[in-house]
Amino acid sequence: MNDFLLNWLVSIPVYATPILLASLGLIVTARSGILNLGAEGIMAVAAMAGAVSVLSGLPLWMSLFVAVLAGTLLSLIFGIATIYFKTNQVLTGLLLVALGLGVSGVVGQRYTHKPLPGFDPIDFGPLSDIPVIGRLVFGQDLLVYFATALVVAVWWGVHKTRLGLRLRAVGEDPYTADTSGINVSRYRLAAVLIGGALCALGGAYLSMAAGQVWVEHMVGGRGWVAIALAIFARWRPFPALAGSIIFAGSEALIPRVQASGIEFPAYVLLMMPYLLTLAVLILPYLIFKNWKDEAPAGLMKNYVREDRH
Amino acid sequence: MLSRIYIVSRQNVPNSVRLSTFLCGLAAGMIISVLVLMLNGVSFTDIINEFVVFVFLDSGGQAQLLTEFIPLAMVGLAAAAAMKLNFWNIGIEGQMWVGAVAATFVGTLDIGPESTRLALMFVAAAVAGTLWIAGPAFLKLRYGINEIVTTLLLSYVAFLLVQSLLFGIWRDPDSGFPASPILDEGVERLAQLGWGSLHSGLWLTLAIGAIMWWLMSISRFGFFMDHVGQNPVAAKAAGLPVVMTIVGAVILSGGVAGIAGATIVAGQEHRLTIHIADGYTFSAIVVAFLARFNPLGCLVAALVLAGISSAGEVLKAFYQLPLSIVTMIEAILLLSVLIAEFFGRYHIALRKREVG
Repeated sequence: MNDFLLNWLVSIPVYATPILLASLGLIVTARSGILNLGAEGIMAVAAMAGAVSVLSGLPLWMSLFVAVLAGTLLSLIFGIATIYFKTNQVLTGLLLVALGLGVSGVVGQRYTHKPLPGFDPIDFGPLSDIPVIGRLVFGQDLLVYFATALVVAVWWGVHKTRLGLRLRAVGEDPYTADTSGINVSRYRLAAVLIGGALCALGGAYLSMAAGQVWVEHMVGGRGWVAIALAIFARWRPFPALAGSIIFAGSEALIPRVQASGIEFPAYVLLMMPYLLTLAVLILPYLIFKNWKDEAPAGLMKNYVREDRH
Repeated sequence: MLSRIYIVSRQNVPNSVRLSTFLCGLAAGMIISVLVLMLNGVSFTDIINEFVVFVFLDSGGQAQLLTEFIPLAMVGLAAAAAMKLNFWNIGIEGQMWVGAVAATFVGTLDIGPESTRLALMFVAAAVAGTLWIAGPAFLKLRYGINEIVTTLLLSYVAFLLVQSLLFGIWRDPDSGFPASPILDEGVERLAQLGWGSLHSGLWLTLAIGAIMWWLMSISRFGFFMDHVGQNPVAAKAAGLPVVMTIVGAVILSGGVAGIAGATIVAGQEHRLTIHIADGYTFSAIVVAFLARFNPLGCLVAALVLAGISSAGEVLKAFYQLPLSIVTMIEAILLLSVLIAEFFGRYHIALRKREVG
């Protein structure tokens, strides 16, 4: 049983990282007043692009760059459409999901189910041999550490810097921000691109580190889970970290339970991460009387300077 | 560089402008789609052949087209009812799944007399679809919880539920395939019309379309929908039953989506299989949006999308292109229509910046 717990605990970061990266990206984007529902599509394209690059013989880091670039380009389409052509954010986000799933299916067709050399856990030498902590803290791959550091970086960037203050001003009240001399469109586009890059990194992690193989539909709703967690976290990085650990904990349980031979209906087990995500989204409303989502006031509202009253 | 671009909202968008920007967007999307197909190795003449000649002019193609049209029109109508009230039902696949499951249960367990079995299957499907959307609707109306995320996550839950049934109690004992027992001919299936695989679900679709057109465009309920959709605060101030209107539209949406799932089971597959609801959520949204939530428009838009998806089947068979290319083309069409709309909604002026 101890082995069961340890193996479960140690595998949590691998499941948490892609969700965490995407959630952080969505938080940055949402703080500018834009909800990018296309996260699922961006992750799908990045997962595919990373795997295809590695399988085509590009070095690992270069492939990661290609994956992030591909996802960011997809978010650029979203950004230009919603910010400059004032398209509906929900519709544009949904079509980005379709576009991303479509592109990854078409381009990645011949690269499916092929194992690839990806990011492996780093060996810290003697540190990795410490019981429990050794494997949990010193037995992960580089992107896990990067994602953890990014939680602090996003918190600091959004809440403690002048740029972050302006970003939040744009998200809360773009009309006032514009009057104060902030270029709303530029801030929003930057936030969409940074968010897209982070979602892409999360997607690339799935195929290049966690799975080390690409299959169609491998993102499996994680983009949507990331959105749910960003809402649950009320657009704050640290609660998002907590949310992704909860999700990862339930997801990491699936292979553990199956490997241990415990009799448990497989599909109920597979439903758990989604049900748990729904639960964390809903429960605060039931428990706390005055729970508000605290979304930026300008979220999902397009800004048209000439409509200023 | 003293000039800059101004965009000015038009007070009223004339219908001529609305139509021409829509058509321009559609045309641009089609051109891009053709280019994408050509990039994937399909020659231009072949595209014309598959789309126009095979899909629209060949008798077998027409039957195939109408068969694809049936569920697409239903889910499009389902999406339109909810979207008109700014309720984003992104869980259409989930409601289709539970509808299909409910119908399959009634069919395979032989519930009710044979004469009303088929009707009972569809009622069960509508109830199941409604129940599946009731949770998100309640959470949205009571707590303001974003319905996009809840409806979508419930789709994954519904799909896993279907998998657990298909790999569990319904797994075919002989072949091991994940498919439910076959429904009885004549009792639990929609009648074949003797033209390709077209079935009487077509009449059901047209009936639902007509009823929803009456509901949304003629009846008092439609009047409420118009106003609650455009401005719920003003509608409430005017004394309209805002909550009941939203509840009604959402029930309609979930119920029709459930019926769509049952229609595929009873009309097309004659059993529950693992792919029946694939990709319908996005198609539904494209249909509803292209039709601007007008039920009759939904029927037309569904016909166009049915053409694309039956051409997609041909492309898959002859060019080994994955079906995801259909999703991609739908996304391209929607994007270009959305962007084209900008040029209708706003007047674009190039002015010199005034100094001082």
